[in-house]
Amino acid sequence: MSEKVAYLSQEWRDEVEKRFKAELSPEKMKFITTSVSYIYTGCPDGKDRCLYFKCDNGNFVEVAVEEGPPRQAEFVITGSYDLFSKLTQGIISSQRALMSGKLKVKGNMVKALKLASLADRMNKIMSRIPATY
Amino acid sequence: MTQKPQNDPYFIDFPGRLARIQDTMAKENIDLYLGSRLRTLSWVTDAFCPWRSYIVIPAQGLPTVFTFVIDAARVADDSWLDEDHVLGYAPLGGMDQIGQIADFITENVGLKKGRIGIETGMSNYLPEGNLTHYEYESFRAALPGFELVNSHDIVDRLALIKDEGTINRFREASRIVDIGHRAVRDAISNGGWKGMTETEIAGIAALAMRKAGSVWEWSFTGGNEIACGYRTGLAGGACTPASTKELKAGEPLMVDIHAMFKLALGDHSHNYLIAPATDRQLWHAKNFVDIVALTLKTYKAGISPVSLAEQMLEFAESRGFAEYMVPGFEHGIGMLGDEWRIGMNDGPMPYWTNPEHVYRENELLICAMQYACPQENIGFRYENPILIGKDMCEPMSHFILDVEVID
Repeated sequence: MSEKVAYLSQEWRDEVEKRFKAELSPEKMKFITTSVSYIYTGCPDGKDRCLYFKCDNGNFVEVAVEEGPPRQAEFVITGSYDLFSKLTQGIISSQRALMSGKLKVKGNMVKALKLASLADRMNKIMSRIPATY
Repeated sequence: MTQKPQNDPYFIDFPGRLARIQDTMAKENIDLYLGSRLRTLSWVTDAFCPWRSYIVIPAQGLPTVFTFVIDAARVADDSWLDEDHVLGYAPLGGMDQIGQIADFITENVGLKKGRIGIETGMSNYLPEGNLTHYEYESFRAALPGFELVNSHDIVDRLALIKDEGTINRFREASRIVDIGHRAVRDAISNGGWKGMTETEIAGIAALAMRKAGSVWEWSFTGGNEIACGYRTGLAGGACTPASTKELKAGEPLMVDIHAMFKLALGDHSHNYLIAPATDRQLWHAKNFVDIVALTLKTYKAGISPVSLAEQMLEFAESRGFAEYMVPGFEHGIGMLGDEWRIGMNDGPMPYWTNPEHVYRENELLICAMQYACPQENIGFRYENPILIGKDMCEPMSHFILDVEVID
């Protein structure tokens, strides 16, 4: 894929789902069952959006980009569009973003620690999608 | 109440403890209890919580522990609570201890206003765990609409009389301590003491007790407290973290060792004179052994710390050694973190033992006595967990009461 897609657009979501399914096997995802809602505040059009992932036994069963009330999930991570877009592009690390206090996390921290490396794998895949931010 | 498993002498009905806390909360109009003291965490969770921890006890249902994320999985593994009820806090947005607990109270428990019981006060014991001023102010700011009221007496009251499982755990911790004492005596006898330091003795005891099942030489006073020579006689000196001082002939040796078994605490002190012992040293030793024996004989339900102290000091005066006695004969004990005050916070000096506290059956305390003669560089210490009975007490360590002279 050489054409750029708009970040958080339907095309971008489709590409994320395609790449996750191709590159992250259930084995690589440690057969986890979980869900995460990333709540983006202050998107360029002024709206808030939610990027939602649901994984069942290591299979991605849902990837969604939505407006409106954010989806309930095992983990809810809230931050600005600007910060999340830098994360997705690999401009800042998730560790730095989390430790700066600019992201607000809800969920069981102990389980989150177990999932941190998987989240990094997902971020790396998303960072390789040519996109306009 | 949960069913006691067969053949488990150490069984404690933790859900029953929780239910009694919740019953008391209801009677005192406490909507939620936010415990922070180590003694509360030990008593409710059955797990050692060495990092700053909190326990949120709702009006009904299971409590949730919040501890530093690096230790949360281990605490959950040790506790009777599952991993969904032991959460980790971390220096991440929304995951710090104040924000996470405040959100948990309002969102997970669903309380929007009410009375939250907290634990505050003061202590001479460093790891007590009362809410700090900063924590108090931060929780107040994060939980508008809530009244924070000091409620530690709920747990203090319920924890005072010990149940069978707790008592048996203490008996086992003392049995382990006795093994440590035997290892020390074997090591220092027949000249073994020569060239040995206090720290080595602490280690010999520790190894023997660990082999026997102790998980920690628990005391925050430096683990196993060993003193020799002048250090045994430091004025009022009832705290002697082991040093590198070498044992010497003609000097006293104090061996005060600690074991922990299922959060119950062994704490026994035994004393030696390294030969040759002078008549004067033996006079001091006899004074000490006699007053300890009399004290143990006197402890029973119905007496109080002050009535016991008066009797013992009168005896010491009659024998001419009152000036060497520290005028205190006890300290409190419970599951880890409950180490100092006896009974409730109801005495004339806030947060100190009430001297008029009347002992009741199945209270546990440490019979703790210190004899110190700094001008002669000699002193002795006795400590032993005792269970208060109707007409007597049960000393839990069975190691011989004596000041032994070793060659």
